[in-house]
Amino acid sequence: MRGLLVELTRLRWRRAVLLLLVAVVVLPALLLATTAWNTRPMSDAEIDSLLSERYAQREVALCERRPEQYVDYSGEAVEPEGCREMIAGWYGGRQTLRPAQELDGTVLAAGTLVLALVLLLGTTFVGHDWNTGSMSNQLLFEPRRGRVWATKAAAVTVTCLLLGTAVLSAYWWGVTTLASVRDVAVAEGVVGDGYEQALRTGVLAGATALGGYALTMLFRSTVATVGVLFGLAVASGALLGIVGQTTQRWTPPLNVMAVMQGQVTYYDESAIAPECRFGTAGPADDCDPERTLTAGDGGLYLGSALLLVCGASVVSFRRRDVP
Amino acid sequence: MSTTSRPVVETSGLRKEYPTRRGTRVAVAGLDLSVEAGGVHGFLGPNGSGKTTTIRMLLGLARATSGTMRLFSEPVPERLPQVVGRVGAVVESPKFSPNISGRRNLLLLSRSIGAPDTRVDAAIETVGLTGRDGDRYKTYSLGMKQRLAIAATLLKDPALLILDEPTNGLDPAGIREVRDTIRALGEAGTTVLLSSHILAEVQQVCTAATIIGHGKVLASGRVDQLLGAATSHRLRCTDAAAAAGVLRTAGLTVHLEDDADHAHGAVLAVETDDPAAITRLLAARDIWVSELVPSRQDLESYFLSLTADDEEAGR
Repeated sequence: MRGLLVELTRLRWRRAVLLLLVAVVVLPALLLATTAWNTRPMSDAEIDSLLSERYAQREVALCERRPEQYVDYSGEAVEPEGCREMIAGWYGGRQTLRPAQELDGTVLAAGTLVLALVLLLGTTFVGHDWNTGSMSNQLLFEPRRGRVWATKAAAVTVTCLLLGTAVLSAYWWGVTTLASVRDVAVAEGVVGDGYEQALRTGVLAGATALGGYALTMLFRSTVATVGVLFGLAVASGALLGIVGQTTQRWTPPLNVMAVMQGQVTYYDESAIAPECRFGTAGPADDCDPERTLTAGDGGLYLGSALLLVCGASVVSFRRRDVP
Repeated sequence: MSTTSRPVVETSGLRKEYPTRRGTRVAVAGLDLSVEAGGVHGFLGPNGSGKTTTIRMLLGLARATSGTMRLFSEPVPERLPQVVGRVGAVVESPKFSPNISGRRNLLLLSRSIGAPDTRVDAAIETVGLTGRDGDRYKTYSLGMKQRLAIAATLLKDPALLILDEPTNGLDPAGIREVRDTIRALGEAGTTVLLSSHILAEVQQVCTAATIIGHGKVLASGRVDQLLGAATSHRLRCTDAAAAAGVLRTAGLTVHLEDDADHAHGAVLAVETDDPAAITRLLAARDIWVSELVPSRQDLESYFLSLTADDEEAGR
């Protein structure tokens, strides 16, 4: 516990880490502010201006006469009094804030932003120790390297998990509160889905920071870690192709998305029967290339990768000489 | 002061090899080191002789290829966590986080061992950094950085202090302060293992020394024993030429030395460890000695003679 408190203090006293922590809070807040601004309700004058064209007026008249032929974003039949605003939206007006859509939009973007920042945080936190040589100084006071590795890992993971969850929950709270203030109906279960997504992404943030930390303890350099991750991001598709995997299933970004969103669909042409391509498939053949990747599958994939990296990192740190 | 009769630092057959493209490079080749409790023990050797590597292995920063090491009779690195609280060390250059203050750097270290924050204040005061301790470490001069590193070693109130070139970068006053601190610590019962290339400093401060070359011990023991008893004496007398003749007749080797101060007579260097024999022989011939001084080898010339021999052997 003492070691953890010391590492949390070290984390707090390190300027680059502090800047990244601030960015984890500020950038999603800016994104939320931008979303709020971009979806602000249109004034009557703006709607009038957008519907001034004759074809737009005709569309509004048709909608008001036969509203049952029009559906809103949620698939519900539109009320006649909602026709003007909806059709103004079609003809260049601002989007209405729709929390369910935000889950796949800005909430996902905020989550991705947080993941990128905590990855850098985990990396720079310990990269600094290696760059300055202060790691050896610390080991003169606590030579149990496994313990040193674990306390630093715990500090970085706990900080990023809690902060990531809090920031993304706050983001989602902001979206739903804004919707409520603007009298935008939110479908049942969407609010809970959003908080679940925030929690899953928060846990992923802790794991991402841990991964960045573990890789830097392995490579002993922030630059090397960022370089390797960039290389993997660029070349992961090609690497999978080399080992004979052309499906998206094993690409890290898809698995990250699966964990964040709960599940994602992807297309795997290699999984369908060859007959499907030539139109000779029988009724028993599965010709649907669409596949679903659940959060559990993605978590297992990412968890295994994390375990592998952490294992290599611990072994390396325990065995190699410290400069 | 420790009452144990076992050495505080012991290594036996200690060896460290580094893999290279052309095979392996041996940094330490079967080093047998023994440092007794109390006093200041010099650890000397030319650059690349394996001093720092040995210290790093003792402190668990590098793994030994083979051999055994003990600190306070405990095998290390296996039992290092049990003894590290009694060991303060500065290895090579000071290494701290540059963007936080010296004080905060020390606080992180002291809190990691559960020491009270007041110990940081005391350590800062001891090394004379009060007033600058709140400044960022990167703004410190090399001497201040070195002092901060020494302050870090004092956080543990160590029974063994391992200092690797601790006066590097210090101004003359700083060197003197550190030297006095080391001497005082040694006299107070702290065992100090001092690695230094400043031989005059070692000779002034150390009670014992180990000289290594090419990763192995060349000589070890008390400094006065290493330098040996005086094997020659320098004398002035009324008639140097006659004196030289008398002494040579008695079987002694005598050199007539040039001396600018002829007002006090010429100087003779006589190779003998028995000064009484010189005065007895000369007095019997009515030649009177005005000055008789034992001539000791200093540590520097002893060190150079040892390491030069080692260089030859290395070739």
